[in-house]
Amino acid sequence: MNGGAFQRGRDLRGDLTLDVDAVVVGTGAGGSVALRELARAGLSAVAFEEGALSRSGDFDQREDHMLPRLFQEMGGRTTEDFAIRVLQGRGVGGSTVHNTNLCKRTPEPILDLWARKYGVAGASAADMAPAFETIERDLSVSLIAPDMRNANNEVLRAGCEALGWRGGPLAHNRVGCQQSGFCELGCTYDAKQNALKVLLPHAVAAGASVYSDALVTRIVHDGARVTGVRGVLLDAFGVPQGSIEVRARVVVLAASAVGSAALARASDVPDPHAQLGRGLRLHPGAAVAGRFDRAITGWQGIPQSYECTEHLSYEEGSDRRVWIIPVFAHPIGTAASLPGFGASHMSAMRAYANLAVLTALVHDETSGEVLPGDDGRPVLRYAMTEADRAQLARGIAACARLLLAAGAREVTIPAIPPVRVTTSRELDALDLSFVRPHCVPLTAVHPMGTLRMGEDPTRSAVRSTGEHHHLRGLFVSDGSLFPTSLGGPPQISIYAFALHLSPHVIERARQ
Amino acid sequence: MTREGGGRFPRRRLLKAAVAGALLLGAGAAAVVRTRGYAVPAGRTLAWMSPWQFVVFQHAARRIAAPDRPGADASIPSADDVDVTGFADGWIARMPAAVRRDLGRFLAYLEHLAPVGSGYASRFSRLAPADQDRVLAGIEASSSDQLRAGFEGLKSLVFMGYYRDARTWALIGYDGPRVGRPEGGWR
Repeated sequence: MNGGAFQRGRDLRGDLTLDVDAVVVGTGAGGSVALRELARAGLSAVAFEEGALSRSGDFDQREDHMLPRLFQEMGGRTTEDFAIRVLQGRGVGGSTVHNTNLCKRTPEPILDLWARKYGVAGASAADMAPAFETIERDLSVSLIAPDMRNANNEVLRAGCEALGWRGGPLAHNRVGCQQSGFCELGCTYDAKQNALKVLLPHAVAAGASVYSDALVTRIVHDGARVTGVRGVLLDAFGVPQGSIEVRARVVVLAASAVGSAALARASDVPDPHAQLGRGLRLHPGAAVAGRFDRAITGWQGIPQSYECTEHLSYEEGSDRRVWIIPVFAHPIGTAASLPGFGASHMSAMRAYANLAVLTALVHDETSGEVLPGDDGRPVLRYAMTEADRAQLARGIAACARLLLAAGAREVTIPAIPPVRVTTSRELDALDLSFVRPHCVPLTAVHPMGTLRMGEDPTRSAVRSTGEHHHLRGLFVSDGSLFPTSLGGPPQISIYAFALHLSPHVIERARQ
Repeated sequence: MTREGGGRFPRRRLLKAAVAGALLLGAGAAAVVRTRGYAVPAGRTLAWMSPWQFVVFQHAARRIAAPDRPGADASIPSADDVDVTGFADGWIARMPAAVRRDLGRFLAYLEHLAPVGSGYASRFSRLAPADQDRVLAGIEASSSDQLRAGFEGLKSLVFMGYYRDARTWALIGYDGPRVGRPEGGWR
């Protein structure tokens, strides 16, 4: 296919009708790889993205401008009960545009578990190694050197060393980083080696087209095989201004664990065993802040370059399921997270430059669900189990202990009401039963599950090839695939699984 | 170790939560809200809020973003100085209809029912600032998950409007966006 291009849906007039080999829904980690591989195989392929097409010059490092541009529901998406804020990407490149570039392979014990318990075939560590190596090369993944570690990350390293806890540097996909510290608002310096900068341009160069402002609303099928998709072109305000009608032999869902599942359910995809949308994992996290006598200026420099894995085991049912990393927000995010309001809140904000913040993310076993909502927004149903709540409490205590060990004068757990400790002895005596959803602010940035892979159609939505058990030509190529939480950042796993499964997508598109 | 606040009046809060839940969820909630007697500043054009919603939000924003050194430090911009409510009006206008509906119901609860739950026989917008603080603190620490979530949403919106403004950054030592590549990078 020749003549690939980036097309802004908002600039198109009239309706869009296409006849292609394959259509990809979503342009994040999974969709970009699927599109590239389809195009490189010589197939005609297009991708649709609900959000806008941004370039580095659009990323002005202002929270109030970037939240609406880069995040679903302007950054306000939550679980149905409002207990967990769920930050998900919206726009060409998906969440790879706003993430902090964390790169970790799927842990081998997780792959073993998927094979052993969930019937995933052909995805052992050895099977996956070539895909990981290719993606890591494509995205220039490398460890962040110690001299590029900012003060917030140094606090975590110091805490780990003081306590003798397991920790280490993290790898990122960044080249030419200016260390300005605004990764989560898009990179104005184009240093992120992500879907937007690397993979989608590869796909377009190979002949694929990428449409922004193009919302797919239905997978078209006859009950046995897909025949295409329908949707709407959106104007700059998100108002429909034209229709989309695409005929295709293959439809690849890559709209995230939330978007893909909601679309599948809204499209009446056959689901005899009630698997669509089930198995949602959120990898939820809670932040803890430490106040230091020295300036930390945690918003400056590379975020999340160090991890603590002392409390993280990948064994199912483990009582150590917490991953700890630094986290820091710009003023709006910080103000929303700190407890209280009014004068006491402003006093706390005055210490902004002296705060170090860590987050504890739970490798969750809670199984939630995604449903299509009445107003077009997906519904995320997720009721945290007691075991996961206990892990959250463990993680919060561990964050507090790390901050104190690193020299924090005072640690704040932003509960309602807030809890403050100044010594390890106070922490030891702390009753953590107050830690639960709605009493501590929770955020999730890694939704997974919902269209799980496996060979057993009674316990999975798609085969180990990524193709739906009952609808020929419907593939999944995003974090929906994962039968469990990864316990870590999913982007490299999503990229790699998309690549690993792409031969099956290509084979089907050729038939 | 300190835990701030406390569980005062649990029975009252339970009652308040129940009443508020009915208001927040009730389809006809808006019908019981008295909406007369509210005026927005002359020349103000509202994107989504009605005048009563604008006034109630403005009162809440003044308390949520209240200064820690009232009167003594003229360098602290007020919520009105940076037009928090005008910003919030424009922001909410772009949100899905269900979110706008929820905010409207929450503001109705804040104005008419929350003061009653805290022992006041007056609208929130007519209370003295210290009394408004007490009402807001009661919602923040409510036994109702819904009400606490509503408060957190309101708080997030207020601080979005407040700390978006560069005039507030000096208060907290924030140096703002770092657009423009210095030689050798930013560190």
